[in-house]
Amino acid sequence: MIEFRNISKVYKMGEVEFVALQGVFITVRKGEFLSIMGPSGSGKSTLMNIIGCLDTPTAGFYYLEGENVAGLTFDQLSTIRNRKVGFVFQNFNLLPYATAYENIELPMLFNGKKGGERRQRVNELLEMVGLSPWARHRPTEMSGGQQQRVAIARALAMDPPIILADEPTGNLDSKSGHEIMEIFSQLWKGGRTILMVTHDPAIAAFSQRTIRLLDGAVQQDGAAT
Amino acid sequence: MRMQLLHLFWNEFRKRRKKTSLITFAIAWGTLSLLLLMSFGRGLSNAAGVSFKGLGSTMIMVTRGQTSKPFQGLPRARRIHIHMEDLELLKRQIPGIAMISPEANNRHNLSYRGKESNRSVNGVYPCFAEMRSQIPEAGGRFINDLDQEKARRVAFIGWSVARELFGDTDPVGKELRIEQTPFTVIGVMKKKQQSSMYQGPDSETVYIPFSTFCQIDFQRFLDRIHIRPADPGDALFMENQVRRVLGRKYRFADDDANAVNFWNTIRDYETGAKIFKGIEMFLSVIGALTLLIGAVGVTNLMYAVVKERTREIGIKMALGARRRHIVMQFFLETFAIFFKGTLWGTLIAFNIVSLVNLIPVGYEDFGIKAYLLRPIFSLDILIVFLVVLFVLVFISGIFPALRASRQNPIEALRYE
Repeated sequence: MIEFRNISKVYKMGEVEFVALQGVFITVRKGEFLSIMGPSGSGKSTLMNIIGCLDTPTAGFYYLEGENVAGLTFDQLSTIRNRKVGFVFQNFNLLPYATAYENIELPMLFNGKKGGERRQRVNELLEMVGLSPWARHRPTEMSGGQQQRVAIARALAMDPPIILADEPTGNLDSKSGHEIMEIFSQLWKGGRTILMVTHDPAIAAFSQRTIRLLDGAVQQDGAAT
Repeated sequence: MRMQLLHLFWNEFRKRRKKTSLITFAIAWGTLSLLLLMSFGRGLSNAAGVSFKGLGSTMIMVTRGQTSKPFQGLPRARRIHIHMEDLELLKRQIPGIAMISPEANNRHNLSYRGKESNRSVNGVYPCFAEMRSQIPEAGGRFINDLDQEKARRVAFIGWSVARELFGDTDPVGKELRIEQTPFTVIGVMKKKQQSSMYQGPDSETVYIPFSTFCQIDFQRFLDRIHIRPADPGDALFMENQVRRVLGRKYRFADDDANAVNFWNTIRDYETGAKIFKGIEMFLSVIGALTLLIGAVGVTNLMYAVVKERTREIGIKMALGARRRHIVMQFFLETFAIFFKGTLWGTLIAFNIVSLVNLIPVGYEDFGIKAYLLRPIFSLDILIVFLVVLFVLVFISGIFPALRASRQNPIEALRYE
């Protein structure tokens, strides 16, 4: 499903070059629950961004469901982000002035889904994350755990096969974090492929397989310990 | 697809309206200034046109003069008078005269039932009415050919004379005495704006047939000859023709500008119209500049908004927004601000123009009131305005919107 062949990413900051990823080979099969660990600056976020088509590699090949992503235009990448990938961020990244309902609806607006279809899907998702009564509330009126659940519902709006989560529990207390992880487990059991960046071995323990990165290279790839 | 975009835009805009209220006000203000300046400019220009026409706009007036250079042994500073027979001479010698009328005037005592006044009494031909824009009030008429032919004692009076002598009663059919000679009033002049005159306003004048005038007031000379050329474009040519014909008779040089005097209202009107059109355009430019300041404000605001919402743009890109979604969002916001501002500005301007037009302006108040209190809000003003506006919306909307859409999604997401 996801195949990295010799992916490198180099950032240029003026004269200085910073190597974020260096010759990475990763293959992720459909339905895997993968966690990516590593110290700060080891390239975890860059890896996630490339997988999520927010960023493009400097060298190497990235196949997403068999399609070579390199060379696609911004709008083609937008379509992939919209349909194939759902993002969950550490800081939730909800639109502050929009209600929970409107936040979840957002990806469907970019895809031109009709009003009735949107309404049905949003209500379905709100129920799934247990936030139906909070539909008309804004993120500022919710707890962190609730906000992250809205973010998960939003990531699922277009029913993407892949969920990318960047430290999804990083800003939450352990109880809320646990609840969020339960939701991810459910989603995984439902057949979705989940990739998650985390620092926390307890969180990584929910996954099937862990990749450790160090200085932009894969240090260890194997079953979770 | 479009409906979803509008939905998205509206969701966001209605929550952000308050932040844009000040700039909306600026746009409303700019719109108001532009529309009012254009309307008042148009009103000014129009009032000037109306007043010029009060004297008659397609007419050449010839009056006596004095030679300014020697000619064929004759000295300079000879007085040149014009006579009744010159009328026939001019008609015979110059083709292209559509109308010609003599005018002779003198001040006389007028009386009606014990009320008295001393006003100018003028003898003219029937065609004078059309040349000088003298329209009778309903129920009256101007002097006609029969009056002239039979030297009838009939009088057409200005509205001020009518009010002075007759008060509220209708003067038509009443007997007006001019120096004890009874005249029947046949008509009262309809009120008109008049900005140019030669012996006081027409409203204070009594007109009688030229033939009758010759009976009550013997004069050797004419005061004026009024000529209307068939083609108004010939005005200057006609003037030279008249000078040449009279010059041959009275012996003065063709290029002697002072031997007889001309008042060419056609030329005056054209010059005046150009000046007022110029003023109108000048006012419009000032208005447009005011609106431009508002537009610069919007551009500025939109750049600030784009910066403020960088993170949000990143989020949207991560959720699958295409470039055009982002462009449209900001462009629509610009458009909405303009729409709201201009809607208010237009409504207020329209109401001010309508209200100002309710202020009564008397026909005696030529000058400031007539020029300032009759603004005109017309369709072409609105069209010009909309074109200007469209350009401004486009310019002030597109650049911030493009900047927003060209951000790198990752950098935008990290923006604090």
